[in-house]
Amino acid sequence: MVAKTHEQWLANPPLASGEWIDSRIYSDQGIFEEELDKIFKHTWIPVCHESELAKPYDFRTTSIAREPIIVTRGPDNVVRAFLNVCPHRGMLIERRPSGSFMEAQPSGNPKRMTCMFHAWQFDMKGNCVYISREKEGFQDRLTKEDVGLRRLRCEVKFGGFVWVNLDDNPVASLEDWAADAFGALRKTLDAEPLEVFHYHKAIVSTNYKLWHDTNCEFYHDFMHYHNRVTGFNDAYFARKNEAFNHGHIQVGTFEVNYDQYEGFESRAGLSFPHLPPNQWYMVDLFPGMNFNLRGSALRCDIVTPIGPNKVMIEFRGLGLKKDTPEERETRINHHNSIWGPFGRNLHEDLIGVTGQGSTTLPGSESRRVLHGRHENQTIHDENGMRHYYEEWSRWMNRMASDPSKPFTAERHVEVAAAE
Amino acid sequence: MNTEKTIEALSYLSAPRGGISMAQNGADMAAKVRDTIYRATIMLDDQRWDDWLNLCHDDFHYAIKSFSPEINKDMTYLQGKRKDIANLIRLLPKHNTDHSPLRRHTSVYTVDLADDGRSATAVSSFVVYQNLLDGINSHIDSGESRLFLVGKYYDTFSVEDDGPKFLKREVRIDERRLDKGSHWPI
Ligand code: FES
Ligand SMILES: [Fe+2]
Repeated sequence: MVAKTHEQWLANPPLASGEWIDSRIYSDQGIFEEELDKIFKHTWIPVCHESELAKPYDFRTTSIAREPIIVTRGPDNVVRAFLNVCPHRGMLIERRPSGSFMEAQPSGNPKRMTCMFHAWQFDMKGNCVYISREKEGFQDRLTKEDVGLRRLRCEVKFGGFVWVNLDDNPVASLEDWAADAFGALRKTLDAEPLEVFHYHKAIVSTNYKLWHDTNCEFYHDFMHYHNRVTGFNDAYFARKNEAFNHGHIQVGTFEVNYDQYEGFESRAGLSFPHLPPNQWYMVDLFPGMNFNLRGSALRCDIVTPIGPNKVMIEFRGLGLKKDTPEERETRINHHNSIWGPFGRNLHEDLIGVTGQGSTTLPGSESRRVLHGRHENQTIHDENGMRHYYEEWSRWMNRMASDPSKPFTAERHVEVAAAE
Repeated sequence: MNTEKTIEALSYLSAPRGGISMAQNGADMAAKVRDTIYRATIMLDDQRWDDWLNLCHDDFHYAIKSFSPEINKDMTYLQGKRKDIANLIRLLPKHNTDHSPLRRHTSVYTVDLADDGRSATAVSSFVVYQNLLDGINSHIDSGESRLFLVGKYYDTFSVEDDGPKFLKREVRIDERRLDKGSHWPI
């Protein structure tokens, strides 16, 4: 077919509804604000890994939907999360990304979270334990009991990740939220303690959903020379793309032939527990988290949307806590070769989504972005993205294919088309 | 590109000078080490990867590292022996890469020669600018330079009869925010 006129270009494609989205959901500021309110403030977000706060009184700060969060490990070894906001006059309580409260602070004691501004202090359970000149200023009108920190739902689960939900009454417990999606990997992730060995972040000009799409669709393996030579075989094309409740998906495994890429080695010697050699699993959780296990190394991506056209992606690499230094070094090399900031694939993925970001700048013309491939729900089927956007539409009460319309369940064509 | 001229200009630094004393020898060798670091900078800037590797010993080891206060870990972002780096370089054309060239500004801070004169270490600082070609939207961004990396090179040299060769280069970058990252050695 020839190139299109403007009218033809804007017409809907000859696909069923639900097989494309309207690009305004990547570019519209109003929709973005709504996503923070309706989705990110109510879903389970893995904010870090428990190995990042290994000792009592260690802390880690983060944020969800612009709300600053602090995660602490108490003297009882329990990991808790609070808003990192002082109830006095709204100062950020802790400014560093991580550290230990074992050390005294210029305006506070050891073993306390101290707000530097007026020296209020809080314990690891979020109780206010000190108000400077309390009686003198507040008499008995306001006491420490009145001003504890805002505690947040927080659980350590699925391989030791720290999950936080800003909603006190989430739609599902964390177990019910993600257990099915982690199903095939759960035994592996929970066999023994994991440890983060890699951290870096990217802040790129694109919508967070486009990053998540890239983690959900494998059709783009055409972009990755590495994946073409180590992957494209019958077992690869048979990998299943399975959808789970709450918008999550899992891409089934196969055996990767790493030695087909010159200079790369088999990862068989360092497989994660309970896995055959050189397997490759992928779990994608709504609304934008990814767990990617390639034999010897686990990667986790966490998105923090900053604007309709801006997202921070935090990348972590994990191995087993019990690794010897040699094993750890090998895992790190395996991780970096593809996924590091100087690795072969990550750079390509990030170029891909920034390219999409360039065509979906705020104010740009609304376009169709297709996800209509049906291949028996195998690796290059786009059912994972369709599943995600149906969930998104439900949470937003907007159709992803036309965000001006309220959500109505798509009539599912998956099975029919898959035959 | 004026690379050849620049190299000529640099090489006078290490030109042999007569009347050799021990101190003079050391000064010459320190100058040669410095010269080698600067040559490496030019070759890396110009993506003359093989020429860069020719400045390196057969046992060369390369690593990019950074400390993360976020996870409280010293991290390796890339590492390999000479043959690993050679593989990586040979396969570059097979990969999709941001076309924006990187420009390194290197300053050699210290050069220390071993007593036996057979090895040397050097510490240099660098900044790397990315001169945008692709950018986010090349129509808007191309032609602009953005700060890409800040760090130090910790180099170890083997001093051979024909001059110093890189035995080890540890690239220590300050960043953990790396955005699109890079396929290229730094
Ligand atoms: S704002 Fe925190 S003590 Fe005043
Ligand atoms: Fe990819």
